[in-house]
Amino acid sequence: MASPSPSERRLQKELSSLMKDPPPGVSVDANAVYQHLNLWNVHMKGADGTLYQGEDFQLQFRFSSKYPFDSPEVTFVGDNIPIHPHVYSNGHICLSILTDDWSPALSVQSVCLSIISMLSSCKEKASTLSIEKH
Amino acid sequence: MNRKPTTASSSNSLPTDNSKNNGDEKDKGDQMFECNICLDTAKDAVISMCGHLFCWPCLHQWLETRPNKKLCPVCKSGISKEKVIPLYGRGSTNQEDPRNKVPPRPSGQRAEAETGSGFGGFGFGDGSFQVSIGIGAFPFNLLVSAFNFTSHNPSDNQVENDRGPVISKIFLFLAFALVFWMIFGL
Repeated sequence: MASPSPSERRLQKELSSLMKDPPPGVSVDANAVYQHLNLWNVHMKGADGTLYQGEDFQLQFRFSSKYPFDSPEVTFVGDNIPIHPHVYSNGHICLSILTDDWSPALSVQSVCLSIISMLSSCKEKASTLSIEKH
Repeated sequence: MNRKPTTASSSNSLPTDNSKNNGDEKDKGDQMFECNICLDTAKDAVISMCGHLFCWPCLHQWLETRPNKKLCPVCKSGISKEKVIPLYGRGSTNQEDPRNKVPPRPSGQRAEAETGSGFGGFGFGDGSFQVSIGIGAFPFNLLVSAFNFTSHNPSDNQVENDRGPVISKIFLFLAFALVFWMIFGL
């Protein structure tokens, strides 16, 4: 492998830092990530004391070659998609920092933290569909 | 610089090894000067008015990415090419990869140092007050220097002192005559 591209360099740094100091309940399979540096699977536990306590989720991060200037595509994958007003049943997450408010100073770590926070602040489990009906 | 360990990661070395060797032994002070975008030590460093450090190539690319929404990546305050300050350390950045295709970072702005005495040109301080006014062919500075004989400083303006009082009085007379002629002669 020749010298890594800037986005790969940054992803490697982020991986090291996420391994070293992950947000609570977050873990990543580093060996799998090294196979495909632009596709991360991140495990996330529902925070204690919230509606999602005891649940396990899986997040998929997909990075383009323009990362960190382009935001990563982040979706919930697997068989347990959280029921949340801002999460579609196909796993799509409605979160401004993943689209318009993305900034290259954000990281996998901070996105994970935002998603944990988004889930934790939920008062009532309701899907996007039921919100639309109201 | 932590350039070598990242290439090693393409083999099977575990990232935990990587982070231990790399993160802990790396001097902690380095992290202070990491670019907020590429997370490397900032090269061609610039700093925003809000105080956030970037490589100029990184920041430039970000500003190009969203040309109509130029915000600091860290704090989202307004940011522009004109308002970033380049940082010039002592160490050169030659050994790093040449990232061409990027316009050079904005240059620093130099202000002249403030000197103690305001005007150096007009010598109000020394005794000889020299003003040169001329209308047409009449050099009225002679008139003024003629008025000035009470306060001549012998150290400077030797030339005027050498003229002698007689000549200056003649010129004084001529000047007054001219003024009277201009006022009453009509």
